Amino acid sequence: MTTSTTSQRGELSSTALALIPIAIAINVALGHLVQSVLKLPIYLDSIGTVLVGVLLGPLAGAITGLLANVIWGLTLAPSALPFAAVAAVIGLIAGYARQYGAIRSWWKMALAGVITGVVAAAVSAPIATYVFGGVTGAGTDVLVAMFQNLGASVLGASFMQGAVSDPLDKTITYLIVWAIISALPKRLLARFGIAAQ
Amino acid sequence: MQRTGLFIERAGFLQRLNPLTKVTGALLLIGATFLLPAPLTGAALLGGALLPLALASLVARRFLDILLKTLLPVLISLALVQGLFFPTADPMTIPVGPLLFRRAGLQFALDTGSRLLVVAGAPLLLFQTTHPGMLVQALIQSGMPRSIGYILLVALQLIPAISERAVGVAEAQRARGLETEGNVVQRIRGVLPLVSPLIVGALVEAEERAMAIEARAFNAPGPKTWVRDIPDPPAERLARIVMLAALGAIVAGRVVMVFD
Repeated sequence: MTTSTTSQRGELSSTALALIPIAIAINVALGHLVQSVLKLPIYLDSIGTVLVGVLLGPLAGAITGLLANVIWGLTLAPSALPFAAVAAVIGLIAGYARQYGAIRSWWKMALAGVITGVVAAAVSAPIATYVFGGVTGAGTDVLVAMFQNLGASVLGASFMQGAVSDPLDKTITYLIVWAIISALPKRLLARFGIAAQ
Repeated sequence: MQRTGLFIERAGFLQRLNPLTKVTGALLLIGATFLLPAPLTGAALLGGALLPLALASLVARRFLDILLKTLLPVLISLALVQGLFFPTADPMTIPVGPLLFRRAGLQFALDTGSRLLVVAGAPLLLFQTTHPGMLVQALIQSGMPRSIGYILLVALQLIPAISERAVGVAEAQRARGLETEGNVVQRIRGVLPLVSPLIVGALVEAEERAMAIEARAFNAPGPKTWVRDIPDPPAERLARIVMLAALGAIVAGRVVMVFD
């Protein structure tokens, strides 16, 4: 399978250039919508990142995640900025999931979601600990308090909080992306180098 | 003029500086808060650098307003979670009403909180006093890939439009009977009808945008010219070198301390 992320000179292709900013805006808009309209205990703020990773590969996915958090952090929620590295890793894994053909079945996408969630929890725990002292001002702080009360260190409690929240959030994210891609017209998918099934 | 995020158009001190000088300054402040002892450094940088700069740039009220609005929940949570549950062998506690706060936990919360104010405040002030277009242009001219600059600018412009569309989709689906209230399972089932119109529309739009990019030869090789000129006086170049040297000295000082 060839990826259409980069042109011959190593620059981002025009398709990547067009899709990435839209995906970033979707991350921010949906993350906000899900938390304020549906009031769900998950974030769903990486749908755009996973979508780009799965459609265009690891490099484009990582760039989407990184820049999404940079923009979100600099405009609406400063607390998103230090987690830009986590978002980049999420996009990277989504890109590799594409290369392993995860898009062909829903359970492979769910598995990719669980893996992404665990890795995201592991990468974000040190950031949550050393930048934020373990809390982010969201509802999940209750979990951190609980794990610390059970005897965990700040770092340990931050990881356990992530390990509870992230795999669920990322699995739902991947399944949403799978459902949408499966419903797309073949002509559109061909533009992203995904052969019709 | 389209909404460009945090930027406030005023004729103050920071607004006249080259964006690169402000980026360097923000990096220096963030580096210093993490490497020098808390909470004193955080308090000193906030009171001695960020606030006077915000005042001189005529954005002090908006600066404090946004900084506190976004950080207050984190700070309160920090004091409660770490004040009450911080893992420590230190038996010292401070009773506040029925609650027993741990001294080491409050110290930890104070250290982290003071750092957080600078880490969030420095970029906030940078963006309140710098037009995003100027910032991206200055970054590209000093070596950032053009494609990254393009993505940043377009995303900044698209966020209000896509947010508006997301709210529109939510309202349209609710008019068709979609449950956005009720128990968690019902609300999770509401996610897909909200998300899919948004994303399918975005993919179609991306295809059109890709053709527009190709038609304008964005990826063509060769030198590009700029419409605007960003002034960069020698004094500011010198200031940047001094700030980078200071940051280097702080890092070196910390490394020496670790190996001492």
